Amino acid sequence: MIELVNISKSYDGKINVIENLNLHINKGEIVVLIGESGCGKTTTLRMINRLNEPTGGTILINGEDYTKISKIELRRQLGYVIQKVGLMPHLTVGKNIEIIPELKGWDKQKRKERAYELLDVVDLPPEEYYDRFPHELSGGQQQRIGVARALAVNPDIILMDEPFSALDPVTREQLQKELLKLQDELGKTIVFVTHDMDEALKIGDRIAVMKDGKILQYDTPEGILKNPANDFVEYFVGKNRLWKTPEMLRAEDIMHKSLVTVGQKRSPAQVIEVMKEKDLERIFIVETETSKPQPPIGFITRAILREQGDKNVKMSSICNKNFVAIQHDAKMTDVLKIMEDRDARHLPVLDDDGNLIGMITTASILNLITKAVAGEEES
Amino acid sequence: MNDVNFFQFVASRSDELIGLTIQHIQITGLAVILAIFLGVPVGILISKNKNMRSPVLGIANIFQTIPSLALFGLIIPLLGTGYVPSVFVLFLYALLPIIKNTFIGINSVGEAIIDAGRGMGMTSKQILTKVEIPLALPVIMGGIRISTVINIGTATIAALIGAGGLGEMIFKGISMASNNMVLAGAIPTALLAISIDKILGIFETKLTPKGITSQKDTAK
Ligand SMILES: Nc1ncnc2c1ncn2[C@@H]1O[C@H](COP(=O)(O)OP(=O)(O)OP(=O)(O)O)[C@@H](O)[C@H]1O
Ligand SMILES: [Mg+2]
Repeated sequence: MIELVNISKSYDGKINVIENLNLHINKGEIVVLIGESGCGKTTTLRMINRLNEPTGGTILINGEDYTKISKIELRRQLGYVIQKVGLMPHLTVGKNIEIIPELKGWDKQKRKERAYELLDVVDLPPEEYYDRFPHELSGGQQQRIGVARALAVNPDIILMDEPFSALDPVTREQLQKELLKLQDELGKTIVFVTHDMDEALKIGDRIAVMKDGKILQYDTPEGILKNPANDFVEYFVGKNRLWKTPEMLRAEDIMHKSLVTVGQKRSPAQVIEVMKEKDLERIFIVETETSKPQPPIGFITRAILREQGDKNVKMSSICNKNFVAIQHDAKMTDVLKIMEDRDARHLPVLDDDGNLIGMITTASILNLITKAVAGEEES
Repeated sequence: MNDVNFFQFVASRSDELIGLTIQHIQITGLAVILAIFLGVPVGILISKNKNMRSPVLGIANIFQTIPSLALFGLIIPLLGTGYVPSVFVLFLYALLPIIKNTFIGINSVGEAIIDAGRGMGMTSKQILTKVEIPLALPVIMGGIRISTVINIGTATIAALIGAGGLGEMIFKGISMASNNMVLAGAIPTALLAISIDKILGIFETKLTPKGITSQKDTAK
């Protein structure tokens, strides 16, 4: 949908504030540009609607070089929400929303209908707000009008430059939710600039972490949290952020990986020995003991072994096969629910092929809480 | 001097006074209108073109700095005396406040507002006519008001080079040592200045867009 190919930008002809930047944005995606002040987020955003011209490289919109259409035409096809809102103070809310429809020659009736519709979308009763002037609105309400205005001629793509940064946390969260709802309903492609990682994680389908005019990592929120590309990204994201973001956590992130299993041919005596050595109450049985993950057959507890008279019995015939396992990509919320519902204190984790790759125990959960608290203290 | 005499004097000369007042308004009005036609576009131009800003404001400033009497004197060798050179000098006087206020008015429209306009796909012309000028209008109007009021006063001096107007009555009165005559010229001039100031003030308020509550007086 939007492709930035080898884009560079210099304001003074000497220093490149954007250096060989590549960014591919899919239709219907919310892409967040994030980075420290001065890293080039606004410059990048404003190159998309040609408020800044790239010094080098090409930008394609829907596969076409965007310099083929006039700047004015291009900008009317892209919604733009600027950080400072920039409502026209001499125009009413309604007229502000209707600026471009009016320039496009829509008749009065149609313009007004559209403005009413959009006021509804941004949750401001039209009867009450249509005739108000910008200075009669709160900051948050002005931001909403800014968003409504950007939607006026129904653009497929919306560019937003720190649209919520000046708002209090409560209003900001509310507008973030509304943005996501809007996105669900209207399926716009949104490029969103912020310097707030919480905001980026909350609303981004993908996040581009920028530094000094380059993109260091372009990935899903999960990817950024779990596999930061380098120290800067890790530092920028916040070291323990993952643990404070339970909705991002999967079973595999919290499971114990150093898992002790025994082959099904082992004798009870051998198994008891292993369990004593590792101080285990229960152990999972697999086909053979190799380093390759295998499907779990069942588990053995010390109690089962103690009751066992036959010294040569095979583990596979006495193990308890009645256990619940969980997929590696199960969400934390599901993990906790299963543990609670089944009163399970040991939850084997399986990969896509059903092989046993780890174990979640109550200790894993405790460990998680500890990390989250530690992260809290650090920040 | 007593009041009865003054009013008798005014009554006896009322036709002449009315004629002079109309003439006074005409020369001032024409000068200001010409100054608007040149000054507003020039003000807009220098608000867009940084290079032309200081030369233009500098030149306009010079005209305003030269004492009016001297300027009238300087113009005689060039244009002679009478109506045209008078209007011309008054026009030069009116220019600076109009250019300056237009420039200030346009220039003080918030960057975010312009940026929003450009970003949503307004052309430069649309931004000028639909955003900048409406927002600058009260300030421009302030400049026009100042020019007009100053020129009502300066126009009395123009009588010296044969412009006519109420100045004629004043100077005649001085030369004839007639207080009545001086006052019959001076009082209408003062009243004219005050009432035009009030009227233009009302215009200024009317032209202030509703959405703008507080408006700084940038005119100097
Ligand atoms: N109009 C301009 N002329 C010259 N340099 C500029 C201009 N605009 C931005 N820059 C420079 O380009 C670099 C990137 O600026 P940009 O505004 O894109 O940063 P940003 O990531 O949006 O920062 P912030 O989070 O502070 O908004 C900065 O070093 C800035 O000084
Ligand atoms: Mg910025």
